[in-house]
Amino acid sequence: MPILAPALCLASGYFLLALTWPPRKMSPAEILIQIALSAGFGLGIFSIVFFFECLLGSSHLVMTDVLVLVLLIVLYVLRRRGLAGVSTTRPEIEDFRAPIWVRSILTVTFAIALVAAVYNVLLRVIAHPHGDGWDALSIWNLHARFLFRGGAHWHDGFNALIPWSHPDYPLLLSATIAHFWSYLGNDAAIVPAIIGIVFALSTVVLLVSALAQLRGRTAALLAGCALLSTPFFVEQATSQYSDVPLSFFILASTVLLCLADFRRCVGENRTAPLVLAGLTAGFAAWTKNEGLLFLLALVVSQLWALTVRQSRKAGSAESLERRRVLAAFLAGAAPVLAVIMYFKHFVAPAGDLFSGPEIMIHKLFTPTRYWVTIRWYAKEFLRFGDWWLVPGTVTMIAFYLLTRRKTTRSPDPFLQASFLGCALTLAGYFAIYLITPQDLYWHLRFSLNRLFLQLWPASLFLFFRFVGRAQDLVSTAESRSKN
Amino acid sequence: MHFPPDPDSHSTSTSAGILLFAFCCLLSTGRLLVQSPNPTRVSADDIAQRSDQRFAALKSRLPASGVIGYIGGPGDSATPDYYLTQYALAPLVVDHSPDHAMVIGNFPSSPPSQIPAHLRLVEDFGEGVFLYAAKDGK
Repeated sequence: MPILAPALCLASGYFLLALTWPPRKMSPAEILIQIALSAGFGLGIFSIVFFFECLLGSSHLVMTDVLVLVLLIVLYVLRRRGLAGVSTTRPEIEDFRAPIWVRSILTVTFAIALVAAVYNVLLRVIAHPHGDGWDALSIWNLHARFLFRGGAHWHDGFNALIPWSHPDYPLLLSATIAHFWSYLGNDAAIVPAIIGIVFALSTVVLLVSALAQLRGRTAALLAGCALLSTPFFVEQATSQYSDVPLSFFILASTVLLCLADFRRCVGENRTAPLVLAGLTAGFAAWTKNEGLLFLLALVVSQLWALTVRQSRKAGSAESLERRRVLAAFLAGAAPVLAVIMYFKHFVAPAGDLFSGPEIMIHKLFTPTRYWVTIRWYAKEFLRFGDWWLVPGTVTMIAFYLLTRRKTTRSPDPFLQASFLGCALTLAGYFAIYLITPQDLYWHLRFSLNRLFLQLWPASLFLFFRFVGRAQDLVSTAESRSKN
Repeated sequence: MHFPPDPDSHSTSTSAGILLFAFCCLLSTGRLLVQSPNPTRVSADDIAQRSDQRFAALKSRLPASGVIGYIGGPGDSATPDYYLTQYALAPLVVDHSPDHAMVIGNFPSSPPSQIPAHLRLVEDFGEGVFLYAAKDGK
């Protein structure tokens, strides 16, 4: 049983991904991308399966898991026949160019950061087997206990009598934990700890492998070093909170959007990564309410690309293509959104972030709230991540200034949409602070660093994909064809 | 594939950028190591497990589901104590209110005080765990 559940989970995730991945010889980076995404998809599937089991009152969890896997395998086999084997040549990507000794130092730095992070995580898990901080026990693992122990009364836990447990929070993490507990037959503390570590590890692997695939080894190592050297990320990996899982799904959506662009450049079908990007954005929304904001921000950014950018560029073909992009993204997000809507409408009580309209309007027109929130954003920008002496964000600015180049890039629509998506998410967080019914200082103090953390891996990905690049993939491909 | 040739200065500044970045990462990695729990003295903080054990006897006397009241001691640990009680007794919902037919008393660090007049003690489970019932049975 301890092996069966992870095996079914990973296999389900893999076959869901493989359904859409063109059959071809893959680079090591692409294999790692698949492994990281498979873990995330598998955990997402496990959460939804368990939620349905609870709703239906079923007690055939293993059979359901096996059925889901068999269904995915059958779909994979049927679809594989339709997927043409492609043997595209990987375009030469523009990595940072530096002497071998510099790259060697970077490789050693990455190795040191990795070993230090693993060492810290292991000791933290031993020291805090139930998570580090009260949210693990009072929210995520408590919901998992209600789901696991509750039987027919599982929904008692999503009750307005215990508002401090945030019963309106979505269930990806809690339902996944409960799913694994059901296999074990007990609520072992090690399960949420391992799930937290899997999410953190998958985030690191996805960040590094996606950049290795899309930008190059040096950029990948730089981003990996930055993430592994962020003490707050490593600490949160063992906290059993849902911010690292959310950061994984936000990163996955961003990576898949950029992979879609990459596939367009190499002449492959990009619909599949767009559908998967929608699915991961849906999983983000199923992880935490902030994920809903991120999903909305991505949709708005795609709509922006469809309308504002389109009005500048005439051409019905591109307009149609952008509509297809949006449709593929929404098609991926729709199934998970339907589950979230059901949960919010039929299970969860109302959330605690919105008070009456009059109070919210009054708060919106209170200038000091803007000033306080801006100040905290600025402070957090400089101290985020608990970096030592030099903040990570300042390090990135210095790196940008040292490596910037005169660019010949044409605007990269997916990169722009991803940047806009992250910026809108931050703006959405800002708006929530303005209207929060909680004490503003208290709310900022206990949540802003975790909100920044949710966007940190995706920000690192976008930064290292963009910084110091002179050409984009399209112009690279064009110059290649000319030569 | 064709890239315009890079001037040496650019390669140098890129190298400088990478080295600076790696150095800052190493500084932060140092902090991570310093902040790690001491491996020779690390011991598990099994607060939730101890709490589960504390409430085990009480749990066997309570219904499997439903809502039960709660009263607890004062002080900084009052809220965490309440959270731990709810965590131990889930799927029973523990409402922080004495207005229920059955009420849990949780006084881990001080003897029970200011028990509402409408409650009577049903059983003392030790370690500061009590079960009360409403005198009128409602």
